[in-house]
Amino acid sequence: MYKAFLVDKALIGKDIHFEESCSSCHKGNEKGPTRAAAHKGLVARPSKSMEACEKCHDNITGPFKTALHYTSEGQRHGVAGRLSKGELKVFNEKVFEQSCRSCHASCGDCHVKAPVIGGVNTGLLKGHRFVKRDEGKTCALCHGGRVYPEFTGEYGGAADIHYQKGMICVDCHKKGELHGDSAAPYMLRKEVKERPRCTNCHKAGEEKTELAQTSHKSHNGKVSCYGCHSGGPYRNCYDCHLGTGATSKPGFILGLNPRDKKTVTTLRVIPTVRDTFKSAGIAMEQFDKLPNYWDSAPHNIRKRTERTRSCELCHNEKKNFLTKDALLKNGSKANEGLAYTPKPIKK
Amino acid sequence: MKKIRVSLLILALCILSLPIVSFARDVAPIVDTAWVETNINNPKVVVVDIRKVEDYKAGHIPNAVNAFYGSWAMMKGGLRNELPAADDLFDVIGGAGIGNDSIVVLVGKTDAVPDRTDITRVAWTLKYTGITNVAILDGGYNKWVADKKAVSTGAVRPKAKSYQAKVNEGLFAKKDHVMKSIGKAVIVDVREPDFYKGVKKLEFVAKAGHIAKAVNLPTSQMYKQDGTYKDKAELMNIASAAVGKDMAKEIITYCDTGKVCTAWSFMMTELMGYKDVKVYDGSTEEWTKDPQAPFEQ
Repeated sequence: MYKAFLVDKALIGKDIHFEESCSSCHKGNEKGPTRAAAHKGLVARPSKSMEACEKCHDNITGPFKTALHYTSEGQRHGVAGRLSKGELKVFNEKVFEQSCRSCHASCGDCHVKAPVIGGVNTGLLKGHRFVKRDEGKTCALCHGGRVYPEFTGEYGGAADIHYQKGMICVDCHKKGELHGDSAAPYMLRKEVKERPRCTNCHKAGEEKTELAQTSHKSHNGKVSCYGCHSGGPYRNCYDCHLGTGATSKPGFILGLNPRDKKTVTTLRVIPTVRDTFKSAGIAMEQFDKLPNYWDSAPHNIRKRTERTRSCELCHNEKKNFLTKDALLKNGSKANEGLAYTPKPIKK
Repeated sequence: MKKIRVSLLILALCILSLPIVSFARDVAPIVDTAWVETNINNPKVVVVDIRKVEDYKAGHIPNAVNAFYGSWAMMKGGLRNELPAADDLFDVIGGAGIGNDSIVVLVGKTDAVPDRTDITRVAWTLKYTGITNVAILDGGYNKWVADKKAVSTGAVRPKAKSYQAKVNEGLFAKKDHVMKSIGKAVIVDVREPDFYKGVKKLEFVAKAGHIAKAVNLPTSQMYKQDGTYKDKAELMNIASAAVGKDMAKEIITYCDTGKVCTAWSFMMTELMGYKDVKVYDGSTEEWTKDPQAPFEQ
């Protein structure tokens, strides 16, 4: 019998999962005399299809099959609105299944082994121990371009106040959101019933100071929480082309929320341009239906920001507000309705 | 001969004054793991772990609270390691359960010099915000683990306090002040010799070399192999060879971002008794952007 163990022997008695044999998840041939024989039919990533996990955890794997982390549906949805029916078919075959879907996460990517990003494999989380959460080695890798470095302050500027107070991803993004829920399948994360909301913890009327209470009241329904409490520049991506990727730079943009044009919020540039999918033969016939700026939740929340310190900054200087002149060149026509000019304060 | 005698007398007076510096505080500026273990339940002692939240939660000194490095220094105006606003700092201090009479022990990782100087940068910032009793755990969390001391996981929820103080602006020097001080104050470049000489430079620093007339006092010379500090006499010898023995002379330290230079600054003031040490926060990152700022190789 071929003997070579990746799993620490001391761990085997400590984790209930090891009551099953290796091959019950990884297949292969336990009696194979050589490495090659033992590894014949080996499944390196058993949770990919969830067959191994659902034997015991079907209450989780069931809804998870419709959760955004597993389906990557959000990525398709973000582009689908720009495509004709025929283009969507081509997109699904040539782009979504080949590229976007490679990013989906399954059980093991969060609970056993860090996901491989850009070819970098950081390996098992804790020597093949099955862990409940280890955000720094899991969430941080897939969301390491924008969210995580903004959250920890590594992108520049101050860290998110929640991180500073010791909170990490799963403290807000609960398992109901990540594993999927009864209202799934979802097309985009904004629809997720159990997604976190600032007001879950920060109730209106419970502010510690009169100034905070007055500011919240007067801006209620007009400005999102991020509009005032996002701490500073966040990553904006530009000019993405299939196969070559995008470029990025920090920016801070305030404008009307494309999903709710009554509210001013932080807008993030998304990198889809007119010829993003040209190499796949997709012209994006309906490119102008969706904007290039989307409402965003930068994870760099601060109690005090330059906007909470000074009313003048928005109402007089109009700093960081999207203007028609500043719109992306050759961008979508849908961008035009997002510019906003704040009114001076009535004295 | 007379000059030598006077110098020796000054040196003797300086050495005699050192215990006074230590007595002015309720805790030595450097404490070892045994001290922390003994004092861990003293209600006046607040052990502050400045490592990342994830690392802290995975294992920390029992009773230690977490206020990670990014709470104390941030990128601002295109410069790294700048001071947050004073009210934000006060929130961090109060939120960690630190009061004016607290004895704060800072713990960080000590794998490399930049990690070790995270700790002294926080110590310097605490001095700036009016906390006098700041100590550094010698060798940091690495030494705690190496000494096989008890470790807790999860997070300690500190009993928050309201903290207000007058900040000590005199601990930091602005660019204009450094410019005026060339040839008057001792300007100390704490980077490694290759950086001082202009052989190497970091990507975000515009030019290689050092501020005109600066002396070189590399930070790496402060530590033993295991990341703990060399003893006081040895540190004193190294420092005084570069900056002299005049305890009243103005000294301005700098590095590339205003972090690494806090190591010598903190030890020179808190351990050795130099009275007027300032940190040039902008350091070469700011200095080299100004074509008028004298810079040489």
